[in-house]
Amino acid sequence: MSQPLVVEIDRISKRFAGHVAVTDLSLRVPRGSIYGLLGPNGAGKTTSIRMIMNITMPDEGTVKLFGDTLGGRHHSARIGYLPEERGLYKKMKVRDMLIFLAQAKGVPHGVAATKADEWVNRLGLADWRTRRIEELSKGMQQKVQFIGTMLHEPELLILDEPFSGLDPINLQVLKDTIVQLARSGATIIFSTHQMEVAERICDHVCIIARGRKVLDGALAEVKRVHGGTHVAVAFEDSSQGAAAMRAISDLVEVADDSGLFAELKLKENTDPQLILERLMRQNVRLRRFERVEPSLQRIFLDLAGPQAAEPERRETANA
Amino acid sequence: MRKVWAVIRREFIERVRTKWFLVSTILGPLFMIMITVLPGLLTMKSGNINRVVLVDEGSGSVLERLRGQLARSGRFNTSVMQSDSERRAAVVDSLTGLVQEKEIDGFLVVSAATVESGMAEYRGRNVSSLRDVEILNRSLRQAVLVERLNRRGVDPAVVQEAQTGIELRTLRISRRGATGESGEATFFLGYFVGLILYMVILLYGINVMRSVLEEKQNRIVEVLVSSLRPFELMMGKVAGVGAVGLFQFSIWATSSWLLIKFRSQILGLFGISQQTVASVRLPTVGPDLLAIAAAYFLVGYVLYSAMFAVVGSACNTESEAQQAQQPVMMVLVVSLMLLFPVLNDPASQLSVVSSMVPFSSPIIMPIRVAASDVPGSEIALSLLIGAASCLIIVWVAARVYRIGILMYGKRPSIRELVRWARQS
Repeated sequence: MSQPLVVEIDRISKRFAGHVAVTDLSLRVPRGSIYGLLGPNGAGKTTSIRMIMNITMPDEGTVKLFGDTLGGRHHSARIGYLPEERGLYKKMKVRDMLIFLAQAKGVPHGVAATKADEWVNRLGLADWRTRRIEELSKGMQQKVQFIGTMLHEPELLILDEPFSGLDPINLQVLKDTIVQLARSGATIIFSTHQMEVAERICDHVCIIARGRKVLDGALAEVKRVHGGTHVAVAFEDSSQGAAAMRAISDLVEVADDSGLFAELKLKENTDPQLILERLMRQNVRLRRFERVEPSLQRIFLDLAGPQAAEPERRETANA
Repeated sequence: MRKVWAVIRREFIERVRTKWFLVSTILGPLFMIMITVLPGLLTMKSGNINRVVLVDEGSGSVLERLRGQLARSGRFNTSVMQSDSERRAAVVDSLTGLVQEKEIDGFLVVSAATVESGMAEYRGRNVSSLRDVEILNRSLRQAVLVERLNRRGVDPAVVQEAQTGIELRTLRISRRGATGESGEATFFLGYFVGLILYMVILLYGINVMRSVLEEKQNRIVEVLVSSLRPFELMMGKVAGVGAVGLFQFSIWATSSWLLIKFRSQILGLFGISQQTVASVRLPTVGPDLLAIAAAYFLVGYVLYSAMFAVVGSACNTESEAQQAQQPVMMVLVVSLMLLFPVLNDPASQLSVVSSMVPFSSPIIMPIRVAASDVPGSEIALSLLIGAASCLIIVWVAARVYRIGILMYGKRPSIRELVRWARQS
């Protein structure tokens, strides 16, 4: 890769009393990318992020930020961090809270105040500036926290589950802001298990399961490499869908069947044309039939889902 | 360090802005005004005269003497009623009625047997007024005594001389000579200093604990430790809360200094005369005592707040913390329990030792200084031990804190805490 790396993790591991949280994880995050850290609950995402942030130390391996190993705390002025569990000082006023968060990153008071006002206006919280945090709705508190993460204009944003618990409107606002920040040159790493969002904004992804990396790379590359023949089908109504799925079940390896819509992974060497033929013979009325790249959701389920755990277990048993 | 400064600043400003701070800062001086003004007011207000009927059952000259004594006290207005033992029940009944109708305050039955037996009976509404009962008691005793001496034929002049009042005044002598302070005032000052220090150290220590717990509960701590070292965060917090303590302390000290300086004017506002002001002696609070109290506040506060910070970092909820803070509080309470023994004998072995032990010295040493003369070398040694212990305790506390703030779930046992402190 020609771009300089902002984060370079080399084979880190972390064990806690009783269990291994992260094993042998290596990551390379290029400058200016939106990097999605994907994995089911308990996969080790938060632990990895905490190690990047220098909050916990890895038992083995090294973390390089901005090309050196001085650690997240040393570079904290260049990093914005949103922890998984949200929280602010309930009794503080919104503006004071934001100024404090920026000051804790080393921004002088005056600059912090100007920035706080700017952002509060931008995200529509101007009327709430002098209210206490506890008077705000949950969504507004999330916004305040998000502003606090980037008030000091970090080059690297690390967001742990930024989209969890957001309503569609705030989710859109947050997504837009992240994309804008990335366009202006910031690098963004975020963890999530919401594949739809990740699919739309990430240009790099890393899928972690059970503390190990199962796949990483540029999104387009990941999709290409994942392989298989995938078809997206949309039906006119769900009863037709049920009939259709029965008719073609012997040609399909896995189906993500959502009633009106289904994403199908075909068995090896199956011609999609054959599927279409069968559906036509059944008189199924289609609204869409398309050969597609696998969705991130599909890849994720294949690699990190319950079936994926099986062969791995067999492997370790044999070894 | 700008970041640490931001933490200190936040702790200070957010705390000073609370209603609690405002109320306690104002209530402090108000309380001091109260304890300055009240004694004066009380002396003035209780000037109402007691109307008492003396029932004479053939007691002879005792009754007249008693009447004279009571009149001289200026607090009794007496009238005499002749009676005898046969009519006593009826008389008592009717006088009781008068007391209930508040016509009179009480009545005292003096019989012929009083001189021999020394027994008399008073019934009234004001028996709970210790002062009035004391006057009655003293007057009766004197009247009976004189009567007894007279009957034995003692020279009236001798009797007169024997009646001259006897009073013991206790004055404290310090290095600067007689201070003019009474023993009670010294005791009171020591008690006051000890209690204030205990309260302030406990209050602000618990404040630190709450603050640590709050940050852990709302997970802000994670954002903060990603840019500050846990040690910096903890010390910033301790310094910020401590600054609030010193700020409040100095407001109280200034206002009490002003209060003492302008005492007669302030008391004048309440209509209390200059003589009454002069009659209530206040202990002198010199700048040296204030400086020592402030120094020991710092030592005690840093020591205890570091321990409270550990409690906060190891707990997950407020109720858990309330339980876990008990051991730390017990240590502090021990100092409070030593308060009276130390005041009774500020130079005893117990007093000296407990003013050296760092966990009790912040409260005990200022008490000793307030109540007696403590050699400078002892103060210096005690402060040195205190400062050294602060360093050690803070160091250990920071190591536990660093791990505790990121641990959620089950409350750690003491053994786990020790392991955290050792962990690199």
